[in-house]
Amino acid sequence: MNRLFAARRPLGLAALAIVAWVLPYRLNVYWISVADTALLFALLAVGLGLVMGIAGQVNLAQVAFFGVGAYGVGILTTAHGFGFWLAALLAMVAAVCAGLVVGLPALRVQSHYLGIVTLGLAVAFLDWVTNAPVTGGDSGLSGIPTPPLFGVGLSSQYLYYYLELIVLAAGLAFGYFVVRTSLGRRLRAMRDDALAAGAAGAEIRVLRMIAFVLASVYGGAAGVLYAGLIHYIAPETFSIADMFLLLAMVIIGGRQSLWGCVVGAIGLTVAQQELINLAAYAQLGYGMLVVAVVVFAPTGLAGVPSRVRRWRLRRWSGISAAALGSFSGVPSSGRTGAVLEVSGLVMRFRGVIALDRVSLRAEPGEILGIVGPNGSGKTTLFNVISGLYRPSGGRVDLDGRVISGSRPWRISHHGVARTFQHLRLFGNLTVLDNVRMAMDRTRSWWSWRYVFWPVGVWRHERELSRQAGAVLDAFGLAAFAGALPHSLPYGIQRRVEIARAMASAPRLLLLDEPAAGLNGDEQRQLAEIVRAIRASGVTVVLIEHNMGLVMSLCDRVVVLDSGAVIASGVPASVAAQPAVLEAYLGTTTLPSEAS
Amino acid sequence: MQSFFQTLVSGLSFGAVYSLIALGFSLVYRTMGLVNFAHGAVLMTGAYLASTFYLSARLPFAVAVPAAVLATGVVGLLIERVLRPLESKDVDLMLIGTIGAGTVLEAVAILIWTSSGRGVPSPVRAAPLDVGGVRIPVYNLVVIAVAAVTMVLLTLFLQRTKRGAAMQAVAMDPEAATAVGIHVGRSNAVAFAIGAGLAALAGSLASPMLFVSPTMGDSLGIQGFAAAILGGFGSIPGAIVGGLGIGVIGSFAAQWFQGYSDLVTFVVFTVLVMVRPTGVFGEKTVNRA
Amino acid sequence: MIRRSGAAAALSAAAIAILAAACSAPGSSSGGSGGSGSGGSTGAASGPIKIAVVDAQSGSSSDLGQFEWRGVKLAVDQVNKAGGIDGRKIQLTLFDDQGDPTVGTELARKIASEGFTAMLGTAESSVTLAMAPILQAEHIPNITSGQSTKLLKLGSPYLFLNGPTGLTYDSTLAKYLVQTKGYKKFALLTNNDSYGAGEDSAFTSSLKSLGITPVAAEVVPADQTNMTPQLNTIRSRNPQVLFIGAEEAQSGLTVKQARSLGMTAVIAEGAPAGTPLFLSTAGVANADGTIVSSPYLGNGVDAASKAFAAAYTAAYGTAPELHGAKAYDGAEVMISALKACHACTGLALASAVRAVHRTGLLGTFAYDSQGVGIFSTSIGIIKNGTIEPVSS
Repeated sequence: MNRLFAARRPLGLAALAIVAWVLPYRLNVYWISVADTALLFALLAVGLGLVMGIAGQVNLAQVAFFGVGAYGVGILTTAHGFGFWLAALLAMVAAVCAGLVVGLPALRVQSHYLGIVTLGLAVAFLDWVTNAPVTGGDSGLSGIPTPPLFGVGLSSQYLYYYLELIVLAAGLAFGYFVVRTSLGRRLRAMRDDALAAGAAGAEIRVLRMIAFVLASVYGGAAGVLYAGLIHYIAPETFSIADMFLLLAMVIIGGRQSLWGCVVGAIGLTVAQQELINLAAYAQLGYGMLVVAVVVFAPTGLAGVPSRVRRWRLRRWSGISAAALGSFSGVPSSGRTGAVLEVSGLVMRFRGVIALDRVSLRAEPGEILGIVGPNGSGKTTLFNVISGLYRPSGGRVDLDGRVISGSRPWRISHHGVARTFQHLRLFGNLTVLDNVRMAMDRTRSWWSWRYVFWPVGVWRHERELSRQAGAVLDAFGLAAFAGALPHSLPYGIQRRVEIARAMASAPRLLLLDEPAAGLNGDEQRQLAEIVRAIRASGVTVVLIEHNMGLVMSLCDRVVVLDSGAVIASGVPASVAAQPAVLEAYLGTTTLPSEAS
Repeated sequence: MQSFFQTLVSGLSFGAVYSLIALGFSLVYRTMGLVNFAHGAVLMTGAYLASTFYLSARLPFAVAVPAAVLATGVVGLLIERVLRPLESKDVDLMLIGTIGAGTVLEAVAILIWTSSGRGVPSPVRAAPLDVGGVRIPVYNLVVIAVAAVTMVLLTLFLQRTKRGAAMQAVAMDPEAATAVGIHVGRSNAVAFAIGAGLAALAGSLASPMLFVSPTMGDSLGIQGFAAAILGGFGSIPGAIVGGLGIGVIGSFAAQWFQGYSDLVTFVVFTVLVMVRPTGVFGEKTVNRA
Repeated sequence: MIRRSGAAAALSAAAIAILAAACSAPGSSSGGSGGSGSGGSTGAASGPIKIAVVDAQSGSSSDLGQFEWRGVKLAVDQVNKAGGIDGRKIQLTLFDDQGDPTVGTELARKIASEGFTAMLGTAESSVTLAMAPILQAEHIPNITSGQSTKLLKLGSPYLFLNGPTGLTYDSTLAKYLVQTKGYKKFALLTNNDSYGAGEDSAFTSSLKSLGITPVAAEVVPADQTNMTPQLNTIRSRNPQVLFIGAEEAQSGLTVKQARSLGMTAVIAEGAPAGTPLFLSTAGVANADGTIVSSPYLGNGVDAASKAFAAAYTAAYGTAPELHGAKAYDGAEVMISALKACHACTGLALASAVRAVHRTGLLGTFAYDSQGVGIFSTSIGIIKNGTIEPVSS
């Protein structure tokens, strides 16, 4: 991260803490209640920011999590006579369950589909609380007790402010802890490119559920505090209009920044109170503001400084192509290469046969080239091997173990890493984070440490940073550690992607057209890197159109045409076969010209 | 049994309205890739215009509705201009940006027509038809007929006219369409205007059966969007099937589960989407790496 | 990553701030609870008397809020024109609760912090239910237009109704329908908000006390505008009377849709059926014959209502309806109490309200310990768009 910012941050935080702490002394009874509401919305918005901004999951049911927390406390305290904090605990459990239910559709659908489904579930929740006798129906639940704390009832709005402030501070701290470390890095990687994240070992389905659970924890906590603050809950508070208001808070504040969410929440809550008697004009202004922010500042208020920073980074990287260090060997991973055995692989898409009984084998310490005209099924083959597609027939074995049909993350954990034909770097993660993300070999359940053993997370993080630094050094990328991939020249991005793949210490590396778009110099460097990877014992399979490179680099070559293997062997003998020439000439593209 | 058919009839009538709404969603989405959450507010605008022409300007209903459709189409051109920067953005931004635009429309409607809303008398005064004890209000038949004719006309427009074919081409491949000389921006604007017109038609047809108010588009918009997803987002036959589906599910949910109808409708919807994410007529998409 | 020394500095700075803040409790010096001293008897002797009006001015129930505001303002303008109370004018401030109970709670605190003497409104029981505990704690008397019996259960000595409870409306209606007209087959269609749910239980229990069980009792969501599925069920039971328990627009729509399905049952309803919005939504022809239970049947019933209607029409250009009349009566009660106790505040004012005994538009107010002052309604029938009283 940027040193200047890091040095200034604690001072800013301290100043903010002081302001937040003495603020109630300046507020009257009414404004303190506005402040209390604003803090609750801030907590709610941080949860929404985590699931939408950080994990990229559209969640329009955040207001339902809020409701579950509030109603949980309301029902348990008023109807069953539970104490406030016991009820709060159970309400949080209920909110997490709601998070799991709402998250379930995310396993099947994404984007606007997920939007309408989660919105539908929020409507369903609202309908339930409006009708059910247990929730008091439309007239709601009243008489919710004040939470006691150390024997003191927090009936004062002022004391309650501090309770909320502490919870929000803890929530923000935990949120930043998640975002900046292993789990958050995976969530952000998933947001930027779920496919590449899966291929780099992230358990996408589990991560999506974790994202919804995180959101539900924040939503539930806000709901619990709300019930204790207002002592009264009714369905209107959890309406769809409030959901959209919450969404506006997060977008205007800046969804990828938790601070942005807080600022957006507080700003809109205060504005709403100020304009309460001008409802129609306030609504008009609010709508216009939302459109304007989305059009002119899509990263929200919080994005403004980082846009400036990014602009500076870009300028800084303009002179930086020269900062590319030389490649200095693959850090040894202690793992040996694996035998890849593909046998009788068939892949059909709606009757179109993309792979037709493909069989091939790659040995450790070997570079196998896969060539063939466009549309011959090369990338499809990689997609099956790396688990993006489930084959229609046949199998893929790694060291004698079936891997075909497994999910991408599992195949990644078996030791398969890949790059993509069209670069798939995580656009909003720095180069260092791209590498650290792939280097992180922990499973998702490892995340329990976030709650019960944060020190373990820190230690893991330090270790990751050390190793990632070594990888960046080895690939000569140390100068770009803090840069965003898109700010770098194309050739360097290609190298970053290979570094990312190697960071997971694979036994089999799949390179999909690694030379595409590289100049001659860069191609020579690429060949050097690939040879070094082979020398380290890793099995390499490579798709390439550049025949010159294939001839000089590969130990053996397999030729695909229309999904079938038409030739294989050492490069020189394969190139001489008539079937191969015909396949290439038939496409009117000479192999050496294609890039 | 009689009650069953009676509920089916009511579900199909409202389903026809949902189909028109879903059609607008789908047309805009497939042509320009915009998920337009302001669609419900556009519908509300159309309903208000139609009811104003009908009640205040005292035009015949059959004139007021086409006038409102045209006027809303023009409003649609304006909105498209504002939303154009969103067409290439990710779904979160589209979502909140179009919701913002919808909020603006609602606020304008409140400032013009106040927030209290108005009932629109049915333009057909005939007594309901009685088919074996099942009462079918004549107006509902009019709605179904108009919706059906509109869908046929829209399909013909897309398949038989030059402008329609251009829109189809833009939907499939904007770059290729540009290469053959189609003006993508204009094509998008026309698609959005037609979408707005469809929303206005749905809104003005629904207004004698429902109630015109600034918030009428909220729930109609959500139901229509759900209908579009259910049928297969971006598909025209899908919009029809999805609309009728949501209408019928909603009707039976209301009859059997009373106040809990929304709960039942959306839980059923969620399950259907999880079982078949691409909807009835949706394209199965394949991850490309 | 956070630098350690910086973090330590931040922590110690925060600690100092905490210590400094701990010396005195916030809120003790600044702000405070305005002028509403606990149980105070006489307010500040000068300046205007501040009364808050809280009603929805936006959202779906803003119509009601408008009607209420006009009624209150008319009463207050009249007393101010006549010289005010002990020479002090009444200053009205309108707050928009948006029909949202949570907004209501925030407004209750705002009213308290800004030193209002009393509050009039809201039009919705659910909002008043949320506000009442805060107003009670702040000793601010409130005359509400709500009619839910849940309001009485709060037991707040500061809460008064400006009309009868829902139970009064419905028992009067049920008695007329069963005993006078001799109907036996009843169907209920109510919505699921607090008004509809209250009507459902009040009318059902009124029927029960007359020995009748309804043949159908259907519930619709309050924001639903298509009631036909529920009406289908009701039609299949073939009732003589369809009782509707929903707000104005939804009631009107229900009537329209029932008639479009060819249903001929007599429509019966409480106060909403007497309003212009109901009539315009249902259509005059469809609304014909609707039986209404209301404490205020129309503007020409007696001399008081004629005078009120004339003043209202002169001020606003439209004729008043029930909600305006109720709010006007409520404001008049508050004014009488303020006059009687010489602009006192707090519990003294609440006692003064309870002691008011005056005849208004809705009848003669005489408050009981629960805060209800009117105990009867009249029955009317809608004919050609106007309500005609039924002599009972």
